[in-house]
Amino acid sequence: MSLADLRLFEMRHVAGLGPLCEIMAERAALGAPVTLLAGGTDWVVEQELRPPLEVAAGGPAAPPLVVDVSRLSDLRGISLSGDTLRVGAATTYLEMLRSDAIAARAPLLARMSRDVGAVQIQARGTLGGNLATASPAADGVAALAAYDATVVVQSVRGERRIPMSALQTGYKRTSRAPDEVIVAVEIALPAPGSPWYWRKIGARRAQAISKVALAGVAEVRSGRAARLGLGMASVAPTTALLPSVRALCVSRPLAELTGAEVDAAVAQDISPIDDVRSTRGYREHCARGVVRELLRQLGAQV
Amino acid sequence: MKVSLVVNGSPREVDLPPLSRLLDALRGPLGLTGTKEGCAEGECGACTVLLDGDPVNACLVAIGQCEGRRVTTVEGLACAGHLSPLQRCFVEEGGAQCGICTPGMLLSAEALLARSPDPSELEVREALAGNLCRCTGYQRIVESVRAAAALRRGGGGAAP
Ligand SMILES: Cc1cc2nc3c(=O)[nH]c(=O)nc-3n(C[C@H](O)[C@H](O)[C@H](O)COP(=O)(O)OP(=O)(O)OC[C@H]3O[C@@H](n4cnc5c(N)ncnc54)[C@H](O)[C@@H]3O)c2cc1C
Ligand code: FES
Ligand code: FES
Repeated sequence: MSLADLRLFEMRHVAGLGPLCEIMAERAALGAPVTLLAGGTDWVVEQELRPPLEVAAGGPAAPPLVVDVSRLSDLRGISLSGDTLRVGAATTYLEMLRSDAIAARAPLLARMSRDVGAVQIQARGTLGGNLATASPAADGVAALAAYDATVVVQSVRGERRIPMSALQTGYKRTSRAPDEVIVAVEIALPAPGSPWYWRKIGARRAQAISKVALAGVAEVRSGRAARLGLGMASVAPTTALLPSVRALCVSRPLAELTGAEVDAAVAQDISPIDDVRSTRGYREHCARGVVRELLRQLGAQV
Repeated sequence: MKVSLVVNGSPREVDLPPLSRLLDALRGPLGLTGTKEGCAEGECGACTVLLDGDPVNACLVAIGQCEGRRVTTVEGLACAGHLSPLQRCFVEEGGAQCGICTPGMLLSAEALLARSPDPSELEVREALAGNLCRCTGYQRIVESVRAAAALRRGGGGAAP
C-alpha cells in the first residue's frame, strides 16, 4: 500500500473556478493532469490500493498536484429556478439529505443519498466525485441518469454541457477532458409529486456497494408514461440507461405491457458479470424484479 | 503546511504535509490517541470524529482540508473529568467491551443525539451503520445510545 506516499503530493487551494481552470489547463498541457480532491472517499482509498509511487515507472517526475475543491464556493450549493434544479459538484450526500429543495422536488436524490455508504461517507462524498470516478456501481450516477441530468463542466475553453447519456464512455471512463472541472449538475424536474423509484440491493443496508440498484423517474398521464428515466447500477461496464425498457414503456399504455416483453427489454439493456459482490444470474434476476416493481408502481400489471 | 483548526474547543496548529490524514494529525502531533485506526479505508468507523458537527472518517480526510474547521474527538466528550451522559451509558449498559470501536461509536451517537433527541431504534442503527464492532453484537450499544437519549431529555446534561 502507498498511503505513505500521500505526504509526497503537493496540495493547493484556489480562490475560484477561474484560477482552477488555468492550473488544470497548464498541468494537462504538461501531461500531468491535476487531481481534484473533494470528499476523498474514492481517491484516498485508491491511493491505499495503488503500488508505491517510485514503482510507477515512466510516471511524471514530480508527484501529482492535488487541488482541494471540497469547499470551493463555485462548486457548491443547491438551487431551484423554475423547474430546473442545480446541484453543485462539491455537494455532499448529507447536504442533499438536508436540502428542502431536494426533499420537495427531487426526493429520489435524497433517498439515494441515504443508501450511500454510511453517515461518515455521506458527510464527505460528493456528486462530482461519484460522477468523475464513474464506477458502474455508483448510486449517484444511477439517480442522475434517471433524471436525464446534464453535467456542467468548465475549462479555459469555456463551459460544456454533457447529457448523462454521453458522460460515461467505458468502465470508469468519462468524456470529461483532463483539464475540465465538473461544476454542477442540472436537472429538468418532473412535475411536483411525480412518481419516482429507488431500490438498492446490496449485502447489507449500509456500507454496501450495489449488487444492483435502480433509480426511476416518471410522469404518467392517462395511463401512459409521458416521461420515464431510468438508471441502473452494477449491471454493465457503465451505468445502464435501459434504452429498450424506456422505449417499450412509453410506446403503449402501461396496462398493456406484459411481463415477458419487459423482461426481454431488460435482457437487451444489461450485460452483468460475476464478480466479488454477486453473480451474473442473480443480477439478471434482480434487474428484472426491480424493473417490474417500478412499472407496477406506475400502474402496469407485470 | 501549517493548518489551524479547533480541536475539542481549543485552537490548535499543526505543521504537516497537506495530504497527511486528519487521523495522523490527531494521533501524532495533537497527541489524541483516543481516535483509532482500523481499516484505513472508510469501512470500519473506528476513526470517526466530528468535523463541524458531522461524523467523518478521519482516515479519509486530508489535514490540508481542515483549515479553520472544528474537530471533536472522544477526548472532547468528557467535561472536567466527568464522563458525558452518553459515555456513562456505554459503561453502565455494557456498550463497550474491548473498546476499539467505542470512540467512533460515541461520536456517531453524539452527532445523532445532537440532532435527534429521541431517536427510534432504527434511527440509532442507521446512525451507527458505519461503525463496526467485533465484540458486542450491537444490541447493547443501541441500548446505551437510547438510554443516553432518555437521560439527556431528562436533564442529564449535554456534552460540551
Ligand atoms: C466505505 C465506502 C462506502 C462507499 N459506498 C458507496 C455507495 O454506497 N455508493 C456509491 O455510489 N459510492 C460509494 N462509495 C464511493 C464514494 O464514496 C463515492 O463515489 C463518492 O461520491 C465520491 O465522492 P468524493 O467527493 O469523496 O470523491 P473524491 O474521492 O474526492 O474524488 C474522486 C475522483 O473524482 C474526481 N473529482 C472530484 N470532484 C471533481 C470535480 N468537481 N470535477 C472533476 N473531477 C472531480 C477526483 O479527482 C477523483 O479522481 C463508498 C466509498 C467508501 C470508502
Ligand atoms: S480506519 Fe477509518 S474507517 Fe476504518
Ligand atoms: S467493543 Fe470491541 S469492537 Fe466494539
